Amino acid sequence: MPGYLVNRNLTVGLYALSRGGLHFRRSKGETHMKKTVVAMLLAILAAGSVYALNPGESELEYNGWFRYMNQSTKFQVTNPTASRSSIDRNYLRASHQWTPKLFSKLSLDFLSSSSYADGASVRIKEAYVDMGLPIKDFTFAAGVQKHYFAETYSWDYTHPDKELSDAQGVCASADYGATINGFLPGGFGELQLGAYNGEGYKVTGAKNSVAPELLANLRLTPFAGFQVGASVFTKAKDISPFANSTGKLSPDRHLWFNPDTANRKKLAFAPMAKVAVGPVSLTGEYIIYNYTRDYSQYNADSTTGKVDSASLTHKTKDYANAGIDLLPVVSLMNQKLDVFGRFSTWQAKEQSGDSMPVNKAKSLMRYGAGFNYHFLRRAGGSKPAVAVQFAWVHEQLEKEASPGVKVDPVDTFILQFRMEWSHLLLP
Amino acid sequence: MKKLLTTIAVLATLVAAGAAKEVMVKGSDTMLNLVQNLAEAFSTANPDVTVSVTGGGSGVGISAVVNKQTDIGDASRAIASKEISSARANGVNPIEYAIAIDGVCIIVNVSNSVEKLTIEQLGQLYQGKVANWSSVGGPNKKVSLYGRQPSSGTFVYVRDEAVKGEYAASMRQMNGNAQIVEGVKADEGGIGYVGVGYAREQGIKVLSLSRNGTDFYSPLDKEAVDSGKYPLARPLFQYTNGKAKGDAKTFIEFELGPDGQKIVSDQGFYPLTQGYQDRNNANLQ
Repeated sequence: MPGYLVNRNLTVGLYALSRGGLHFRRSKGETHMKKTVVAMLLAILAAGSVYALNPGESELEYNGWFRYMNQSTKFQVTNPTASRSSIDRNYLRASHQWTPKLFSKLSLDFLSSSSYADGASVRIKEAYVDMGLPIKDFTFAAGVQKHYFAETYSWDYTHPDKELSDAQGVCASADYGATINGFLPGGFGELQLGAYNGEGYKVTGAKNSVAPELLANLRLTPFAGFQVGASVFTKAKDISPFANSTGKLSPDRHLWFNPDTANRKKLAFAPMAKVAVGPVSLTGEYIIYNYTRDYSQYNADSTTGKVDSASLTHKTKDYANAGIDLLPVVSLMNQKLDVFGRFSTWQAKEQSGDSMPVNKAKSLMRYGAGFNYHFLRRAGGSKPAVAVQFAWVHEQLEKEASPGVKVDPVDTFILQFRMEWSHLLLP
Repeated sequence: MKKLLTTIAVLATLVAAGAAKEVMVKGSDTMLNLVQNLAEAFSTANPDVTVSVTGGGSGVGISAVVNKQTDIGDASRAIASKEISSARANGVNPIEYAIAIDGVCIIVNVSNSVEKLTIEQLGQLYQGKVANWSSVGGPNKKVSLYGRQPSSGTFVYVRDEAVKGEYAASMRQMNGNAQIVEGVKADEGGIGYVGVGYAREQGIKVLSLSRNGTDFYSPLDKEAVDSGKYPLARPLFQYTNGKAKGDAKTFIEFELGPDGQKIVSDQGFYPLTQGYQDRNNANLQ
């Protein structure tokens, strides 16, 4: 078996197949066949663990990101709120392995901000139980957990900024739901099937979800250095955040928007590919996100703002969004230094009559570069321990300041220290 | 200009010659002593190469290969599908070499009349479903279970291959093989599992095991372990990113050669069968 490896239990099954499964004979062959089928089934159903912990073990983990961000136009700070120091991640995670096939995890996100009455708040980022299924390397998880769409679920943050689908509001990185997660034999990839609320972990209840979001994700790794895949989610209907308000007056005060707004026929699709050769890797994804919004409105008196109750009209509007995200990375100095670039586009189209013009205020192009320096990595090197990250992002909106002249671009500088550790607690 | 280039070339050669060559090995605690002994012998024969060996567990060893953090990863279990998938996505092609074979021995007190067990009986004993030796043909004596801590690869291996469920809560979790041997020696109802290197002590007895209840094999029978007839025989692995190169390749070749395999025997493990050697050779070339 030179050059590559296959799963050991699959090997057992294939070995059995090569011994008897391909030479079926009437009498003895039937016995062989039965044995072969049993061997194959045992190979597929063989107990195996996809968990990192052993039964009885617990793990505590902390992720803290101290960040300074500066956002400017032509080197003049234009957004004082965004230009500041902050703790961008402050996660405390606790995992416990109950049995070889029963695992649970809780991750709390502590937010410190003056926008909260007590100066801080806490959100549940993860809270789920994960159970091994009778199929090798497949598990079932229920609770608040990763949202397996596009690159959002990698939680890798080679670039300190958000993933494109998260940044553009396509979906959150975690959500309430149930998933089946599995790894294909021989390391040929992974897949996830899920049913979520579809609102994201931060805003549960705010959008009054009335239908589950259904998700599928597949990543294939046919050979070293190449990964290809796609994820898709669809949601029949949810209700927008306006549902919990009394409605709102349009900026020109001519219209009163009712709160009964609903998004329906939500569909997002994201093919991706990654190429990694030596110290260089390139990850690319293309995201499509479409939905239809139902809403109703009244005419209003622009002077008094008074609503004409006889003028109620129901409307429908289609939205079509698409974007590209490219992340080239070069790892140097024995993986201590990552130098990266990033290029993203996002185009938002909104229905206007029979056409779908580009909404220039929401369409953009971004590019930039940066580096990560890892002072320390955790055991095995899969996760950072102490690292400094720097990124520069240049963003140009399609929005025009005057006909034919785009608004000034915005430059963002991020300097971030990541302090992360995990500690195993033996029983 | 020519002079300058010559000077630079000479300096570069001197720097390269002076720099110590190092092979990093990381992973399985089960293999730690074995690989440290192999590294010591290798460095004696190759004084210009330092082999640094650290533990952390099989998962850490494989993860270090997947993340390009080590030259060689030690693992007392095979790499999982999840790990191969991550490796490939990172541009890493994990290549496997078996360097030794371990036969996990089931030991009882020498006074115990039981000579053999089926894997099913062993599982029932360790799950606590059989609490008296008389149920498996032994004396009327309460069973005392001895095992390793959950961080041990052997704990996981015996659980997955024999217990096929949870260990009984009454199992005493010992720090190492030697402690299990001492425990069983002093306890007439004791049963424990240890590596074959620890099973030749006085005061304990090694049981034969059977998968089908008919054919029983001893872990002290090299042929039975080599052929896989003994139910608790397992290979010990090393992994590299792609086919091993340079000093890492030389070190692995030493481990697989006669001198390395003698150290494997001396450390209480079994040397490789021809089948494993052939596969290793194919993965090395």
